[in-house]
Amino acid sequence: MIKLNPKLSQKLSYTILFLATVLAVVPVVVIIFIIIKNGASAITWEFLTSMPKDGMRGGGILPAILGTLSIVTCAIAITLPIGVCAAIYLSEYAKNNLLTRIVKLAIVNLAGVPSVVYGLFGLAIFVMFLKLGVSIIAGALTLSIMELPVIITTSRSALNSVPYSFREASLSLGVSRWQTVRYIVLPNAIPGILTGAILSISRISGETATILFTAAAFSVPHLPHSVLDQVMTLPYHLYIISTQIPNMPENVIFGTALVLLLMVLTMSFVAIVTRIYFRKRRKW
Amino acid sequence: MRKIIDNVIEAVIFMCGILSIVFVVLIFGFLFKEGFSFFKDFGIIKFITGQFWYPTSDTASFGILPLIIGSVLVTVGACIIAVPIGIMSALYISEIVPKGVRDVLKSLVELMAAIPSIVIGFVGMVTLVPFVRTLFDIPTGLTAFSGSIMLAFMAMPTIVTISEDAIRSVPWQYKEGALALGATEWQTMRRIVLKAAMPGIIAAIMLGIGRVIGETMAVMMITGNSARIPHSIFEPVRTMTAVIASEMGETVSGGIHYRALFAIALVLFIVTFIVNFIADLFLGKNKNK
Amino acid sequence: MVDKIKVKDLSCYYNKKCVLESLSINIAQNEILSIIGPANSGKTTFLRTLNRMNDLDVTYSRTGKVYLVGDNIFDMNMENLRKRIGMLFAMPIPLPVSIYENIIYAPKRLGLISKKSEQDAIVEQALKDASLWNEVKDRLSSSAMKLSGGQQQRLCIARILAINPEVILFDEPCSGLDPISTAKVEESMIELKQRYTIVLVTNNVKQASRVSSRTAFFLMGKLVEIDKTDRLFVSPKEKRTEDYITGRFG
Repeated sequence: MIKLNPKLSQKLSYTILFLATVLAVVPVVVIIFIIIKNGASAITWEFLTSMPKDGMRGGGILPAILGTLSIVTCAIAITLPIGVCAAIYLSEYAKNNLLTRIVKLAIVNLAGVPSVVYGLFGLAIFVMFLKLGVSIIAGALTLSIMELPVIITTSRSALNSVPYSFREASLSLGVSRWQTVRYIVLPNAIPGILTGAILSISRISGETATILFTAAAFSVPHLPHSVLDQVMTLPYHLYIISTQIPNMPENVIFGTALVLLLMVLTMSFVAIVTRIYFRKRRKW
Repeated sequence: MRKIIDNVIEAVIFMCGILSIVFVVLIFGFLFKEGFSFFKDFGIIKFITGQFWYPTSDTASFGILPLIIGSVLVTVGACIIAVPIGIMSALYISEIVPKGVRDVLKSLVELMAAIPSIVIGFVGMVTLVPFVRTLFDIPTGLTAFSGSIMLAFMAMPTIVTISEDAIRSVPWQYKEGALALGATEWQTMRRIVLKAAMPGIIAAIMLGIGRVIGETMAVMMITGNSARIPHSIFEPVRTMTAVIASEMGETVSGGIHYRALFAIALVLFIVTFIVNFIADLFLGKNKNK
Repeated sequence: MVDKIKVKDLSCYYNKKCVLESLSINIAQNEILSIIGPANSGKTTFLRTLNRMNDLDVTYSRTGKVYLVGDNIFDMNMENLRKRIGMLFAMPIPLPVSIYENIIYAPKRLGLISKKSEQDAIVEQALKDASLWNEVKDRLSSSAMKLSGGQQQRLCIARILAINPEVILFDEPCSGLDPISTAKVEESMIELKQRYTIVLVTNNVKQASRVSSRTAFFLMGKLVEIDKTDRLFVSPKEKRTEDYITGRFG
């Protein structure tokens, strides 16, 4: 084998690393570009605010947008308080014992379960066993369990970023543990928790496999009335029109994908801006 | 009074804290209940090693070997692409570029994770699939190969961000020591930094694998959904996740097909549990250093 | 003199390693007791045992008894104990709220005030007692984080005074402060002696001699000597005490 001069070998290696980075970064740009380029023409006020027509080949996607919004709202309303409490338990109360280790293991495990398995579990427990039927609430409950480990993890790091000395100062004044958490730790952790929550909303908005058999409907002729309704959702609608319906106008599919993408990216963006804003304002 | 309220709240917090355990047990319990009853009817050995997945024919057969092969093929393919690229770009991002560029590159990589898998699947279907078909001149572009490429992109954010964290947490004294001895930056990176960051990188790879195995919608749209044992990566395959997603709607609740899909979910649950457990062990190792 | 705190055969451990060995000591009411000694002598551990801050540390354990006017503190409710024995830390830790909120935080949480009108009076009194009132009275609503280090430390004193404890523990309260700020903190300590019992842990031997009525010398987890401050500094009984006092500032 030829032994390369170290300088040259470094130059060569850096070039390869650079190319690898390009490969890692370019696809996302390409995907976003393709969707915007092909989908932008479909986006009109009517597209966003009217019901589908002609076997979904025309009209708008209002029911899918509202369906996604309602499921996501319910899911985050369920998972956020539970997740934050669980994070408080782990960060502020849990001792270093077997129970805590099992809880942490359970969270790691929950985080790794594939979304389609969550979907199946949701079908078995919420749709069938609890007889909620295929509905917004069944889908939201399933999503909320799926998102729980993420909320717990982000909330924990938000809680842990509050200096330990604040807790000590409060406790040393005779203030109880819970009051310390409630009045000192939580207010200072709220920005981080909020950022995590918005990112979670963004993530579950695009989730398909989980709601496939727990909430989503092929087509619903009316807007959702109650949490026990089946709904159309954006990701499932995109799946249907891109794979199940023949002669679907391409720009409608791309338009739907673009709406979903915009929804998700806007929320990620809001989360990032929130984080930067609060970091700047942080007092310690 | 204050004391009582405190106690009630603390009890609620404790219950939320251990709720994760309850959910894991519930998920396992529900999957196991249906899966176990399926194993009793069909036999677990026949299930795992059976070569034919004919769930709806008159003499139904529920062998998931083709599905396992499908999942493994796609996962291995995705790893072969994503792991080297992911680690190399993690190195590049954390060690070579200045901080401003680093933040931009990192955000771009993370952006990929924000895109819903259904959107990625759709774009792959309309761009990558025809491209693969014409490039290799094969009857269909819906192949394990296309699936691997798409999944590699989807696992990239996980692999890059976690490896990057691991690489950056290598103490600078390590590098300085090597550089002081006359090693070039690249030699230092390859011999010292990569080695020290290895537990974190392994964790990143494991989590990436977990992400790929569990991915459903994109694979379903791209891999062609054929539950036959493939001869090469340029043939359509069907993964375990895709089978569940595409067939659940057609089953009769409580029927053998329905229960067979739960049995597959049970297999997935156990596999991802192990993968994530290993990842967690390595992550812990990295932290303890 | 009445004894406020009686320590009987107290031993403390971290991870089973002994850091304070069978300590017995009495602390009189309204005295300032200084505890001096080199690093790792167990003085801070002793202090953090007195209001049970160390109970937060899972590696910590202890044997022995400490009585606060007759009650064993290890049997007391933790919150009640800490309300009676306040503690000032080495680094000033203002809470990230306004000066006013810092003072009123504990009284509010502990349910010591029923009417809103009492708040202003409590804040003013506490800040006056900690000799900070004149410096901050016009900006009570600004963030406590904006105060200087010395002001922050006096704010922390005021915060303790607002819950009216019986004993105040000072854990090297001036280690991060300049001489002028230190003088101000010491000044308020001497004033506080009228109403409170004070235990001061310090690395600064001169500080001990300036403010305390009695001084105890700790070394490697043991009490070597305790005496009236002037006597201990002029004619220590133990050679080791003399070495420490003179060796450092000889």
